[in-house]
Amino acid sequence: MTEELHYRFPPASAYRLNRCLFALKSDDGFRARFLKDAAATLREHALEEEDAAAIVRGDRDGLLARGAHPYLVFMADLRLRMEREPVAFEFF
Amino acid sequence: MLVGAFACPHTPQLLARPGTEDRDLVLRVHAAFARVKRRLEACRADAIAIIAGDHVEAFFLDAVPALAVYVGTECAGTFGRYRYRFPIHEPLARTIVEAGIERGFDLFYTQEAPLDYAFYVPLHFTMPEPAVPIVPLHVNVYLPPQPTPRRCYDWGKALGEILRARPERVVLMASGGMSHFPGTDRYASPEFEYDRRLLDALAAGHGRELAAVTGEELDKMGNIELRTWATLLGAVGDAKADVYCYEPSWHHGNAVVEWPV
Repeated sequence: MTEELHYRFPPASAYRLNRCLFALKSDDGFRARFLKDAAATLREHALEEEDAAAIVRGDRDGLLARGAHPYLVFMADLRLRMEREPVAFEFF
Repeated sequence: MLVGAFACPHTPQLLARPGTEDRDLVLRVHAAFARVKRRLEACRADAIAIIAGDHVEAFFLDAVPALAVYVGTECAGTFGRYRYRFPIHEPLARTIVEAGIERGFDLFYTQEAPLDYAFYVPLHFTMPEPAVPIVPLHVNVYLPPQPTPRRCYDWGKALGEILRARPERVVLMASGGMSHFPGTDRYASPEFEYDRRLLDALAAGHGRELAAVTGEELDKMGNIELRTWATLLGAVGDAKADVYCYEPSWHHGNAVVEWPV
């Protein structure tokens, strides 16, 4: 049953991957380093190669299949887009 | 004492609007926020106790509290160019955690954790002038297994009793909802009819119905965040909701609601 939920228990095997997505979402310094040199910055989290490759590709489905939390994937991507294209936003 | 009860959405597109969002819709939600702000000023609130679901900002998988109270002196959060810092009403926060534990709720507390946008997006638009201190109340909504809606309702009932016994004039605010599915294949197809039916039930004074839904149903309907509403409803009971607005965007049901207390 729980495997059909949109938001599932985050598998412990994906802890490092989720930790890295959390940093991309919430750590401004890490995100800035990632935008300069993605591959080198991802090594800080000692990710498996496939995890790192999926982050660099922005491969949402691949990340979800590897146990990434959907919200972390979503907001890490939004925060990266906000820095890459800041003029596309109207700030209130 | 409890002097007001409100629910507000917090989707960050209301703060930083990308071109994908309908500007008029965003402004209509802002107008409803402005009504809340005027009401908070009319209530002469001394503090805002704000119930929100952390978006994996204060708490990562290192420690996942089901229900938590922020009991620091101040709290801060950042979102791009936005920088927030709010004083905490520490005596009220401490009473909530102490009295809550006395009543059988094993609350987690923190004195230092980043503030999530679920707290500061509604406060950005509704904080009265002059500003008042806040008490952030966390309900886990994004990291399963979450507390059941029944548990949230029961905690809210205790919370309401605790707030009513206090000398301060306290406004209770639930942040979150309605239907949305960030990061999933359902992102562009929320369950707006579910939202509308629920708002009708709340307007008819059937708040306790939200305590009876299952966590599975909330997930299925894109409404995992309504645990914050269930908590507030525990405090206000079956009062008839005044729905200021329901504005469904292409990915999010934005509702602003007040309950008489």
